Amino acid sequence: MKDEFCPCGSGLRQALCCAADMTLWPSQEAAALLDDKAAEATKFFNEKKYSEAEALALKILDAVPNQRAALRVLFEIRNAQKRTKAADALGARLARLPGPPALRALANGQYAQYLVAQGRHAEALPFAAEAVKAAPKAAQAQHVLGVVFTETGAVLAGERHYRRALALLGAEDGMVLGNLAWNLKLQGRLSEAEALYAKALALRPDNLRGTGGLAQVVFTKGERARADAMLDEALARWPQDRMLRLLKIMAHLACQRPREALEQLGPPESQMPPELLARGRAFMQLGQMQEAISAIATARTMQRERTGLVYQPEALRAQVEQFKAYFTGDRVRPLPRAQTGGFTPVVLLGFPRAGSSLLEQLLAQIPGFAPGDEAAPVAALTQAAAGLLGGEYPECLDQMLVGEAEHALERLRDMYESSRHAMGLARPGVRFITDRAASNVWHLGLIKLLYPEAPVIHVLRHPYDLVLSNIAQDRKLEGNAQAGLPGLARYFTLQAEMIRHYRGQLTLRYLPVRYEDLVADPVAVVRRVLDFIGVKAQLPPDFAANAAPVAEPLPAHFAGREAVHGRAAWRFKPYRAALPNLFSEVAPILDPWVRELGYEEQGA
Amino acid sequence: MSGAAQPGKVAMPLAEALDKLARLEQASKLEEADDLATRMLAAMPEHPHILQLAGIISYRSGRVAEAIERMEKSQAISPEVALYPRNICEVYRGAGRLEDALRAGRRAIELAPGDSRSHFNVALIHYERLELDDAVRVAEQAIALDPDFAEAHFEKAEALLLAGRLRAGWESYEWRFKLKQAEGMLPQTEKPQWEGQTMEPGKLLIIGDQGFGDCIQFARFIPWAAMLAPQPVVACSAELLPLLSQLPGIGKIVTRWDDAAGYEAYIPLSGLPRLAGATIETIPPAGYLAPKPALAAQWGERLDRLIPKGKKRIALVWAGRPTHKNDKKRSLKLSQFAPIFARDDVIVLTVQKGEQIAQAGGYYGHAPLVNLGPEIEDFLDTMAILQHVDRLVTIDTSVAHVAGASNVPTSIVLPYAPDWRWLLHREDTPWYPSLRLYRQSVPYQWEDVIQRVAADL
Repeated sequence: MKDEFCPCGSGLRQALCCAADMTLWPSQEAAALLDDKAAEATKFFNEKKYSEAEALALKILDAVPNQRAALRVLFEIRNAQKRTKAADALGARLARLPGPPALRALANGQYAQYLVAQGRHAEALPFAAEAVKAAPKAAQAQHVLGVVFTETGAVLAGERHYRRALALLGAEDGMVLGNLAWNLKLQGRLSEAEALYAKALALRPDNLRGTGGLAQVVFTKGERARADAMLDEALARWPQDRMLRLLKIMAHLACQRPREALEQLGPPESQMPPELLARGRAFMQLGQMQEAISAIATARTMQRERTGLVYQPEALRAQVEQFKAYFTGDRVRPLPRAQTGGFTPVVLLGFPRAGSSLLEQLLAQIPGFAPGDEAAPVAALTQAAAGLLGGEYPECLDQMLVGEAEHALERLRDMYESSRHAMGLARPGVRFITDRAASNVWHLGLIKLLYPEAPVIHVLRHPYDLVLSNIAQDRKLEGNAQAGLPGLARYFTLQAEMIRHYRGQLTLRYLPVRYEDLVADPVAVVRRVLDFIGVKAQLPPDFAANAAPVAEPLPAHFAGREAVHGRAAWRFKPYRAALPNLFSEVAPILDPWVRELGYEEQGA
Repeated sequence: MSGAAQPGKVAMPLAEALDKLARLEQASKLEEADDLATRMLAAMPEHPHILQLAGIISYRSGRVAEAIERMEKSQAISPEVALYPRNICEVYRGAGRLEDALRAGRRAIELAPGDSRSHFNVALIHYERLELDDAVRVAEQAIALDPDFAEAHFEKAEALLLAGRLRAGWESYEWRFKLKQAEGMLPQTEKPQWEGQTMEPGKLLIIGDQGFGDCIQFARFIPWAAMLAPQPVVACSAELLPLLSQLPGIGKIVTRWDDAAGYEAYIPLSGLPRLAGATIETIPPAGYLAPKPALAAQWGERLDRLIPKGKKRIALVWAGRPTHKNDKKRSLKLSQFAPIFARDDVIVLTVQKGEQIAQAGGYYGHAPLVNLGPEIEDFLDTMAILQHVDRLVTIDTSVAHVAGASNVPTSIVLPYAPDWRWLLHREDTPWYPSLRLYRQSVPYQWEDVIQRVAADL
């Protein structure tokens, strides 16, 4: 069997490829005996004689499967051929080969970049990190690790590596500066981001992504006309660029200009899923329900057929079961609790599109509050907990019952707080930092231990409205729940079950508020929230205009900041009337929740 | 097993199949029994005894409507079989159809006047209908037929006590230790039961024999016993130890029989009222329990951090131990307290323990709710928390006794035919002055009860 070709598609025999025992391979010194031949293969490759290069590399690897240069040639060829499984296997193997630091740094860095180019940032992390460890003074390795951290949500770590890259370069680099600016934008440090973008674009005026990034920074700051003008200018320069065009369309939609968005989109025939989804949202704004659903359905079908996008709940479900089994009242009660921290996080729970961002925007207008959004989520501390305590999370928390380990909680809390200090959220005068991380829904158990009395405000919204709103968004959800309405409904169920479990098993300072009430009477609902938190504060005049100045850092959702409106509440009703079958598949999943959440009593 | 109904299989003789079905039901192998019953019914849908057994299995599997349908059919086919109305009488009672239950019970007596069980069933229904004289009379008929019928004696006791006839009630109440569920409650001993005589210090063993609530309620008689038999040893469960140890006069408290050795007589805690000759007028006062000051202060601070100011703090218990014989009558669902949740001026603090605590996870009412149950370790925690609430709203369960014994303002919701200790036709109780009683005006209907509680908060 092992003489057969490897199923990864490398062209190597299985026994010398994915089924190989690497411990039996020749030493690197022995492998170097074929360096001359490998150099020949490399030469063929550089001369674009790909058939000859491939044939020779395969021969070399059949003799010595860990010959570095031959592996490299074969990896490059398979990558160019888009034979991803083979390229994955070869690239990873190359990265794991022993050797001098410079070579290891090169192999790991290249493989990390290969993964980054495919948007596989999380997979790239160990390789990018290995490259930095092997060559800490290599600016490129630092830069790639900065990209990986930034795109996986570890923005502070990302910033650190970008800055190291810049320091190592010794000169300012337009690309690194632009990426650092994007990182700061993600942190909500908009003024710093804008200044850096200006610098980056002066160095690299052709930085198209940077140009788009700057426009987004300006838009999030609320300077919409200026952002519009910047996008127009960029589009005049790069008229065919899809990303810039989509940004312009998003700007139209955020400003409730659906006709302009449709005009910019052009005819639907050539549109890809992001454009089709934007088209759907434009029709939604126009109240053209049939057209909206049709565009959205086309986008989702295209995603399913072209990229195999389907809801994959297995990992999530396993996590839910694991957390349910661990976080029971009896098991959590004896665990220690962290002492009072430097500020009080206010956890804003809510299924995507439930309205927790609106609540965060409104609270940010009140003195003493800072909008923490998704910054440095508690979820990231689970790994740290496992590292500090030893073992797998959450079972490792039991270790806190032994010896000095109870202090681990204070260390985790300090990590949580120091990241907020670093981002400028925990500044003088701030007593409450809202935490809107989507992953909090899974981690209320750890939050309870870190901040036993942290208020948890849960923004509820009618489940039908939630799935309807999410299906139109070009946004990746856990388990690819965005793939269709049934997936969204099941994902909602998983989250709702998790919250129900935690609320039944833990003493949480929990308050549910309804989106529908929030948009109908924002002052009353926010007052209710403040009363619950125990804050006596004057609301700014014209509170519902949602336009009071808010200090940076500003979360990305501030780009969509607008006066409170009720346009989207109960939206599903006209849709259900116009398209009676739209919810038929999700009704059996969602209706029990509609009842449990009390929406049925409200005649919904 | 091969059933008569399955074609192509060897049929079992009917008598054998019926016997097997009865044995499965008695062994509580309900799934297996259900399967067999279904197949037998498919083959013989009009056989009254199959219908009867299938009905019992349905009832025990929680399918009450199906049970009644099957059993009514069985009775209609064989109206002269006394067992059938006797069985359905209990099913009707369980379903809250007391009128039908009474009719069926009387029919069973008519068909088999010598069956003490049928009389006992009717006594139960009279109790449920608060026809207490009738309950006593019919229980006595059952006892006349079977003088050692412990359940009938106990039923008589409960009716007498509920009617406020405590002295007479205590005598019949002594039969409780002959009930099947009382096995193991008392120690295996040759030593006599105490009859109230004076004794040397440390020679009397007092046993916390009943549920937590009863023990807390009767603990007030310990000082009286200690006057006659100083420094008694009190044996109770670990949960009650921190509470009962607050009573004055106790020598030591143990949680294992082995640690109680050396006593010369014993008395169950629930036997003390009889010995003391307690009447409604002479019940010792409440206020004999109090939280530990440090623990109370600790909970006070914690609640101040957890709970917004300016709202009435209403503690809530909505369900009891599911294995309690009357749990169906006394327990509610959290959602049934909706009239309280609708109020703007309250915050609900649930002090519920046990599996039913999970219902707090599905609460989305208007009033904020803080589920304190997960942080409550024992009764001391509960008592400490209750010092910091405006009122406890509870069903008839142990927390009501903790609150009553520590003078916490409490609203207790009671079924139409409550446990005897709550007596009849009164909104207060001589046992606990801080309790206000809210009774069902119609059996099994809680709506108006909860509305009254909510309106009075």
